[in-house]
Amino acid sequence: MRAARLISNKFLLLFSIVSIAASSLSAQTLTKKQQDSAYLVNPGQERIRKIKKSFAKSFVNFVGNDVSLFGSLVLSKQNINDNGITVPLNYLYNTVNSNTFNPGYSGGFRIDGIYKEKHRYSLSFAVNRISAGNNYKNKHSLSPFIDDFTHFKADNNFTTLSVAAHYKKLLPVNAMNKYKFYAVFGPSFDYKISSISSENLINRAGRKAIINGDFGAEFDNKGYYVLFAHYKLGTNLFQSALPVQLNRFEIGMSIKAKDLF
Amino acid sequence: MKTLYTLLIIAITFTLVACNKETATTQTDVMNTMLTNKNWYLDYSITGTATKSYVGQSTYFVTYLKDGTTKDSDGLTGTYSVEVIGNQSQIHVQVKTANGNPLEVIYNIISVGASNLVLSKVVSTGTPTQLYFTNK
Repeated sequence: MRAARLISNKFLLLFSIVSIAASSLSAQTLTKKQQDSAYLVNPGQERIRKIKKSFAKSFVNFVGNDVSLFGSLVLSKQNINDNGITVPLNYLYNTVNSNTFNPGYSGGFRIDGIYKEKHRYSLSFAVNRISAGNNYKNKHSLSPFIDDFTHFKADNNFTTLSVAAHYKKLLPVNAMNKYKFYAVFGPSFDYKISSISSENLINRAGRKAIINGDFGAEFDNKGYYVLFAHYKLGTNLFQSALPVQLNRFEIGMSIKAKDLF
Repeated sequence: MKTLYTLLIIAITFTLVACNKETATTQTDVMNTMLTNKNWYLDYSITGTATKSYVGQSTYFVTYLKDGTTKDSDGLTGTYSVEVIGNQSQIHVQVKTANGNPLEVIYNIISVGASNLVLSKVVSTGTPTQLYFTNK
């Protein structure tokens, strides 16, 4: 019985080896049709080539693009106006209102370049972990029962994906051939990828898309690294029963990817 | 190429618009979370201009359990449900009277939180009584 099983296993192994060898041989021998198609243009590759060509043509004026990796500390606070919330919930004001900038962090990559050899810009893509302090603009009371409460408790820990387009203005400060100081400004967009709590779904208050206006300063140390400080003022992209104003300070550093790898 | 750009724009638009949606039960779910598995002690009752204070006395409390049943300190038991009718959030309590007849009592939820609950008893005639509970 054991010998029979052994023979059977050996046979299976031999069969597998022969099958693999046969398939590899057949892969090496191209049919007439395959040989013909090898000379023809591959439609997938051709499409990619066209897209690349089109991009190169469209962005011909965007030159000197350097890719950098960056990380930053993010201090955030959100101003919340709950006047539009009609649901009869109460959250004691002192337990939900902190009115402070709480720390989070951010990381991603950015592309720095020059448009038409004149206008400096940066495009950045990041993942942000926001932990915002809350500033509730309205206090409600149910006299004589409850003093100072809000109708809403905003999500203040969330993760976003963001994209930012900044214009960089070189400032005539110090020896500009060594150290460069920039004033930067431009729009950015955040999209919450973390889930919205049930409380924030009531009255469709919680929104995922945030549009920001950014400005700040950057210091380029001989191209070795860039230190930056940005302020971002954001609001819901789409109208909501709960207008939230998100204030953020980003302080961080970026290093060119080619210097890192 | 034009098709690619169009598809890209459609994908971005869909991503932006397809956010989390409020469902019919979201509001009641949140209120149930606030309400259940706590002893709610009556602190005040107000009927018209007459205010009665029970602060510190812990004379009466009511509990709403997650399984949909309710009981109070007087030994009265029954079932309850949180409902939103129109824009009004309500607690519907079904109890049985001493002689075994079913009775429904409806309370409008004026405000509910983790530690405060304000209800107004719905009455067909007369002045409704507002009940203020805290969760101690």
